[in-house]
Amino acid sequence: MKRRKFLYLFALIPFLLVAFLYELIPLSMVVVNSFRPDEGVGFTLENYETVFAKLLYQKAIINSIKISLISSCIGIVIAFIGARAAHQTHGKLNSIFMTILNMVSNFAGIPLAFAFMILLGNAGIVVQIGRALGIDAIANYNLYTSNGISMIYVYFQVPLSTLLLIPAFDGVRKEWQEASTLLGAGKSTFWRKIGVPVLMPSIMGTFSVLFANALAAYATVYAIMMNNISLLPVQIAGCFVGDVKIRQGLGGALSVTMMLIMIIMIGLTNLVSKQFQKGGAKA
Amino acid sequence: MKKKNVGAVLAIAVILVYLLLPLAVSIIYSLFSNWTQVIPRGFTVENYVELFTNPDFLASLGRTLVLCIFPIICTIVIVLLALFVTTIFFPKLEKYVQVICMIPYTIQGVILSVSILSVYINNPTFLSERLVMLFGAYCVIILPYIYQGIRNGMRAVNMPMLLEAAEMLGASRLYAFFRVIVPNILSAIIVSSLLAVGIIFGDYVLVRNLAGSSFPNVQIFLYQTMKSDSMKASAVFVVIMAMTFLIAAIVLFLKSRDGHERSKRKVKE
Repeated sequence: MKRRKFLYLFALIPFLLVAFLYELIPLSMVVVNSFRPDEGVGFTLENYETVFAKLLYQKAIINSIKISLISSCIGIVIAFIGARAAHQTHGKLNSIFMTILNMVSNFAGIPLAFAFMILLGNAGIVVQIGRALGIDAIANYNLYTSNGISMIYVYFQVPLSTLLLIPAFDGVRKEWQEASTLLGAGKSTFWRKIGVPVLMPSIMGTFSVLFANALAAYATVYAIMMNNISLLPVQIAGCFVGDVKIRQGLGGALSVTMMLIMIIMIGLTNLVSKQFQKGGAKA
Repeated sequence: MKKKNVGAVLAIAVILVYLLLPLAVSIIYSLFSNWTQVIPRGFTVENYVELFTNPDFLASLGRTLVLCIFPIICTIVIVLLALFVTTIFFPKLEKYVQVICMIPYTIQGVILSVSILSVYINNPTFLSERLVMLFGAYCVIILPYIYQGIRNGMRAVNMPMLLEAAEMLGASRLYAFFRVIVPNILSAIIVSSLLAVGIIFGDYVLVRNLAGSSFPNVQIFLYQTMKSDSMKASAVFVVIMAMTFLIAAIVLFLKSRDGHERSKRKVKE
């Protein structure tokens, strides 16, 4: 019987084969390669020196963090308002809202880039209407800058973060709001002192998902800017794909840097949400 | 009470307009030949007629279908087998399977594709075939969704009890798993496969980095078209988004139907 049980382990082989061939080995090789020179063998920190010393890659790191932070912050604020509104409404409007959020959360990548180019590109509809109506702020809008790109990121962050936040609002009980109203707190005081702190762990969790999502986003930004913007994913892909020779070491070091940024952000958000959980337990 | 809801309704309305504006504009854009003033002029379906008679587009649709079918079936089979072994015989191994399945969720397209590329590009065997690399990458990228779907399905049907009942009736465990458990979690498998279809359908990064231009799917077709002719591209865009939304709508419908059935069952119990 015992031996037959181990016979069943054979059924694990296909799974392990795929996992090792296309997940575990490639990912560990990225880390290993980042410490290896492109020519020859040995251990080197050269690749990391390049990443942190060269202006191009410094800029990629800063730009990536900046765009991810800006888009996640704006995204989470809109999502908070949206999720609160969804929590306060019922019936048809609520289900329409949920359906559209679900649909639009699939709106990303190349199609998203295309829609924004039609809307806000150099010859975009909104820009042209702005020109026709003589509104300078709209007519001079430039999609092809890092701020312009941030706005697209915000767009794909909103449905995702709203969907992630809506369930959390079930944790904010009506009685608390009633109690705080009885004690003389206004609506804004309630949200500032009770609502947001209670929701903080969910907000932080959502924030780290958004940040990771923005940090790794590639298709949309590539479709709009090609390689004319320095962002981590663009630089990483550039090390492996294109006319130039494959630079495994540098690409590996950039990939590891990107993963580290992600891990640091997850750690930070966990730290913040723990603070709030602790505070809640004490009170 | 009434007043509070007005604010909420307003917020929802503004967000909906914001989310739907780029879609609406692109759809209108695809249907008019001239939109340089405030009002679009010259209604036409020419773009769509041209698109559906374009063999390149139809071929890219076919390729996308191939890219969806094989990795999804493959992933479902390997995950089912792995969960069969771990949940019944080796429960201790299950958390390792879970970790392996959830890693791709955090490692997104770019890093996964370049890491697979760098390992296999110079491989002398069939592993360096670009399509093989692409299939492998898709299997991994959809792993979290398939795994979670199947795992949640298993939790929902009370698997140990079903297996025990089947065994008492004389079925082997293998038979019981594939003839009793799998049919019972079929709807969970279908929902997670459709999610996977949505992901592969929307993928540009993996197919570009791994297959280059040798296997253009619909996303690459859209990218190439939008670089040359935005009118034609707008029709491609509408077709892609219609399909994406259709897939998402079916998922949503199946999920809510499952949810209703489950809550009904609970009420009965």
